[in-house]
Amino acid sequence: MSTIEELNPGLKDLGRYEYGWADSDEAGASAKRGLSEEIVNDISRRKNEPAWMTERRLKALKLFEKKPMPTWGSDLTGIDFQNIKYFVKSTEKQAASWDDLPEDIKNTYDKLGIPEAEKQRLVAGVAAQYESEVVYHQIREDLEAQGVIFVDTDTGLREHEDLFKEYFGSVIPSGDNKFAALNTAVWSGGSFIYVPKGVHVDIPLQAYFRINTENMGQFERTLIIADEGSYVHYVEGCTAPIYKSDSLHSAVVEIVVKKNARVRYTTIQNWSNNVYNLVTKRATCDEGATMEWVDGNIGSKVTMKYPAVFLLGEHAKGETLSIAFAGEGQHQDAGAKMVHAAPNTSSTIVSKSVARGGGRTSYRGLVQVLEGAEHSKSSVVCDALLVDQISRSDTYPYVDVREDDVQMGHEATVSKVSEDQLFYLRSRGLSEEEAMAMIVRGFVEPIARELPMEYALELNRLIELQMEGAVG
Amino acid sequence: MTLITPERNQAAGHVDPAAAYVPDQSRAERRTSFEVADFPVPHGREEEWRFTPVDRLGNVFSDTPTDDREGDPAATFDATEVEAVLAEPLGPGAAPRGTVLVPADRAAVVASANTDQALHLKLAADTVYDEPLRLRIHGNGAGRRSNAHYVLEAGPHSQGLVILEHTGSAEHTGNLEVIVGDGANLTVVTLQQWEDDAHHLGQHDALVGRDAAYRHIAVTLGGAIVRVNSNVRYAGPGGEATLLGVYFADAGQHLEHRSFVDHNAPRCTSLVTYKGALQGDTAHTVWVGDVLIRKEAEGIETYELNRNLVLTDGARADSVPNLEIETGEIAGAGHASSTGRFDDEQLFYLMARGIPEAEARKLVVRGFFADIVARIGVPEVVDTLMAAIEAELAATGS
Repeated sequence: MSTIEELNPGLKDLGRYEYGWADSDEAGASAKRGLSEEIVNDISRRKNEPAWMTERRLKALKLFEKKPMPTWGSDLTGIDFQNIKYFVKSTEKQAASWDDLPEDIKNTYDKLGIPEAEKQRLVAGVAAQYESEVVYHQIREDLEAQGVIFVDTDTGLREHEDLFKEYFGSVIPSGDNKFAALNTAVWSGGSFIYVPKGVHVDIPLQAYFRINTENMGQFERTLIIADEGSYVHYVEGCTAPIYKSDSLHSAVVEIVVKKNARVRYTTIQNWSNNVYNLVTKRATCDEGATMEWVDGNIGSKVTMKYPAVFLLGEHAKGETLSIAFAGEGQHQDAGAKMVHAAPNTSSTIVSKSVARGGGRTSYRGLVQVLEGAEHSKSSVVCDALLVDQISRSDTYPYVDVREDDVQMGHEATVSKVSEDQLFYLRSRGLSEEEAMAMIVRGFVEPIARELPMEYALELNRLIELQMEGAVG
Repeated sequence: MTLITPERNQAAGHVDPAAAYVPDQSRAERRTSFEVADFPVPHGREEEWRFTPVDRLGNVFSDTPTDDREGDPAATFDATEVEAVLAEPLGPGAAPRGTVLVPADRAAVVASANTDQALHLKLAADTVYDEPLRLRIHGNGAGRRSNAHYVLEAGPHSQGLVILEHTGSAEHTGNLEVIVGDGANLTVVTLQQWEDDAHHLGQHDALVGRDAAYRHIAVTLGGAIVRVNSNVRYAGPGGEATLLGVYFADAGQHLEHRSFVDHNAPRCTSLVTYKGALQGDTAHTVWVGDVLIRKEAEGIETYELNRNLVLTDGARADSVPNLEIETGEIAGAGHASSTGRFDDEQLFYLMARGIPEAEARKLVVRGFFADIVARIGVPEVVDTLMAAIEAELAATGS
């Protein structure tokens, strides 16, 4: 007699996270768990860092210990700071080309689709982060010829120390919040980008990050400096394999947008559903500069992420497009922060969220207009879609206006999938599941169309995966 | 809430009591209690006090009885116009006192603890009260503590209008507990026309019965610091709650309004609309509107709206609409908030038609308040309000 499983071989894989494989854990075994001055010193020593950086790290560690956990937002009691490996050095040296990569790392990236991306020359350079250190990195020659620096952050510190020192921590000081302090103490990897004056980088710069050691925290640090009149689009994507205990991802992204420059930063975050994703992202905009955050949150157990723009120069502009998707057991606490510190600045926040299967999405935002920022304009629009009775959606928009001459608007709506829409699609032969996925895709379309094509496709596929089993 | 031992969450050699702290995951988790000790005097960093200038609030938080002196009470309560509905006062624990309002902050808990006999108003069932029921509260001197707790019961299918009028000056804390019976139609107006040195903190909680309609209208014009919290929950399906507010802050005034609508029953509606204008240096207004839609609240509809009009430099308006939704089976939910100054184009249009600037500004402000004034629909309140707005605008001399 055959069992049900034998008759349906597909059943075995059902419910398994698609990216949930893990390579054998070699580098991780030697790394110590826990956090102490010794560990921080050790990280800095292994990287041969200058003394000022070691000091910065130690100071940040003290701040981390002093700072309280956030008194708002998600339940973070599941994070056990002493049960995390703060640094895992890859056993491999940085490789110059794809062929030099070790087999298991190559396999990992194959599953993520990096080689295809590279073959198609869709990306300008690929910085793939493997176990806290960038092991593979390539920049197209024409970028180098333009004077664009695109390296991993450790290399940035080594090779461009003056530039690095000038801007590191200038946008997000280490004492900004508990997790920024933690990142400053133990950061490792990330991207360092400098775009010279007037240079327009046509193709998105791209990096993949992967958490690959059980309980390993990923603390990458990204620093982007766009000099006057330049343009760059940076794309960050994340997937992580599933592990038994909870992982922590706590990155810091600092962006300096100088006069009349424009930076777009796109993230599609798809950590596996056991990762605490607590990220600090902030940009400063000088006169006439534009910063755009395109922020997608699909995965993770808990995400707390509020990309910020500090509008420091006249006519500076900030924009955040944010989409969040929460399924079972997930809490996406995401939003945006706009600080108007100069006259005639403008900001736009568009947030779309979908919750299903008992998941929870929260929009949490702050728009602050400081004294002197007259003629500022801000608009915040939040839409939430609930597809069942057990999911949850929250909106917490803070507005703080200290200037009379401003226009400020906030609007939020929450709706459910309408019976009419479903009926219409079903009468045209779509299954309920397909119809549901199509409605959700239509709902997030205004943001999806801002993504590079391959990301828009990936997003659509992720939505379909998420919507599986959403009905019936 | 999960409690875990502090040790588990520590960085080495460092004890952080906050590490084991789980933030409130829903508005309903906010603490309520009759014990004064449960609410320490706020220092201003607490979520519910973050906008309030607590350091300027003096002794309004002190757990002390009303500062009545021989022949000279701290506040005079004139109940002549509510005699028709006056019932036996209620001591602590005497139901229905304490069944609807459980203090949610320091001010409310000291008011409750220091009010021996709560004024009790009872609208009889199936009765329509044509005349407004007016309770006048007059503070007899700045800096004098005054505590109050009122219980207002509207019997099933009754209909009435109750007005609380605050004048004079005091350090006043006042609780209002409202029970709206099934099918009743009750309007409560609270009018803050304090002197410039008064402090007033109030918590107004209502329980709205099945198919009942409850309207709470806050009109805040006077007082140095005024904070009125208007909260609603439902006793059964079909209830309607309308929370309206109008405020006008001058230099040095802090006027704060908070509301919390707890949608705990199916097929109810709530509509929250607050509009305010600000003028003068350091004029500060705060509006925080919380709505929680619980799982069981299927088929409800809610909308919150706050609009602020900033007339001069140096004024500040905070506006926070919070929405928590635990079910997708709702008719609709949304909120909107906006803050802006005069529309220069409107002004230009009026002036181009020969209307002097001062007059044109008045027209624009009047236009701003027009829709909410129309919604209030209580003639004597509207008259008071419009007169006050005219006076405020005249005072600027613009």
